[in-house]
Amino acid sequence: MTDSAVAEAINSGELPGRVWIYSNYHCNLACSYCLTESSPRSERRQLTAEQMLTIAIEAKSLGFTGIGVTGGEPLLLPWLPETVAAMAAHLPVLLLTNGTLLGGDRFERAAPFAHPDVAVQISLDSHLPDVNDMARGPDNFEKVVALVPRLIVSGVRVRIATTTAGPLDGPTLEPLRALVRSLGVSDEDHIVRPIVRRGRADERDLGVFAVARDIPSELTIAADGAFWGSFGPSVRAGRLDTDLLLTRTILPLSIPASTLLATLRGLPEGADASLGIR
Amino acid sequence: MGNDVRMSRSQLLDADQAPITTRVYFADGDPGPIVAALATVPELLGPALSFVGAALGPGSVTTRAKELAILRTSVLQGCRYCIHAHTAVALDVGLSTDEIHGLHGDIALEDAFPQVAERALIGWIDALAGATGAIPDDVWIAAREHWPEHALVELTVTVGATMFLNRLATGLELPTSDQVTARLTKEGLA
Ligand code: SF4
Repeated sequence: MTDSAVAEAINSGELPGRVWIYSNYHCNLACSYCLTESSPRSERRQLTAEQMLTIAIEAKSLGFTGIGVTGGEPLLLPWLPETVAAMAAHLPVLLLTNGTLLGGDRFERAAPFAHPDVAVQISLDSHLPDVNDMARGPDNFEKVVALVPRLIVSGVRVRIATTTAGPLDGPTLEPLRALVRSLGVSDEDHIVRPIVRRGRADERDLGVFAVARDIPSELTIAADGAFWGSFGPSVRAGRLDTDLLLTRTILPLSIPASTLLATLRGLPEGADASLGIR
Repeated sequence: MGNDVRMSRSQLLDADQAPITTRVYFADGDPGPIVAALATVPELLGPALSFVGAALGPGSVTTRAKELAILRTSVLQGCRYCIHAHTAVALDVGLSTDEIHGLHGDIALEDAFPQVAERALIGWIDALAGATGAIPDDVWIAAREHWPEHALVELTVTVGATMFLNRLATGLELPTSDQVTARLTKEGLA
């Protein structure tokens, strides 16, 4: 599989354009459905700023169209905001964060995110503080609701992600949608997705089972290797899941990218392509 | 040749944890510890198995010569896993228990292998797998008197591939399968 085959596959829509990067696995929270079993005590499994920037540069030259940064909680890395801005010089960056590490004086760390090619995606699971905080930890609701308008006023594009065991649309979601709108986030920037039964969600019997075909085939890079889809590098009982592992080699990015494309072309149809996982 | 029941030093993946690019190797059940260990680095599994399969599988030399090379190399390298596995294969391809004892070093090679051609081949294998550094010309010349050059090249690759497996299995402490242990016990070779 040549590099130009990857570019053609992205152009034609056969391969998704976004590369996900797991910057680290540790987190200040320990959500009930966390795919990576993240917590403050998790092994860090951390990429370096140089690796992340190199991935962005090589992703662009391979024809990818965007970068997503996730974890763990990326903002636990001191250098993360500046690295996101540096990556955005090459490709648009979507940063996923729990939004709890930018309160008070720490808000100034968000300055590099006021960039035309950076968007910040923050989790909010319910319009009811208790329900949200049951899954995501004490005071999470209050911190997120306070942060989002502050970011928007500062010129940061904000998306909200809701992860739920309930319906993905319909009237029960309306109060949450109204809350998200009131924070200044449009419906198109509010995504609702199911809990995927991997990692801690699997241990706690939460969420939907998913096979590879149900999971968008986005190239995903973590310290442990390259994976099929952003749900690939999950952790269960302290051990990395390897079922969606593509290669241990992460750079040059052409190696995992061409392996992903070859795998995509060789896979049988999945059990259910309509789970709405994204 | 003791029966080592230790667990593998590295993780042996099962079908549920088999990386997406390696599932074909797990489709018919347990693929064995070499595949299960190599699958943790999926990009190496296919190339490694292609090489090992070509080097150890059917070729221009007889299966007997190949097994002789594989088992003797494994003995010289002290690889418990490969000695067990290939003692069973050697029985399958028709080596006698005396010949196997000879390759194991339990009885004199001259007694186990009366044919000069096979002893010359074992001399070449011993020089490759049982020593380091340059190999004296006379070992090569003695083998060449009985074996065409291409056969010695092929068997040299077989020895090299076996040494790769020997160090992999020894380094990772791959477990001998229960079936192999039972077979060798039954034949008095455990
Ligand atoms: S779901 Fe996100 S915020 Fe929650 S513990 Fe996992 S990494 Fe942290």
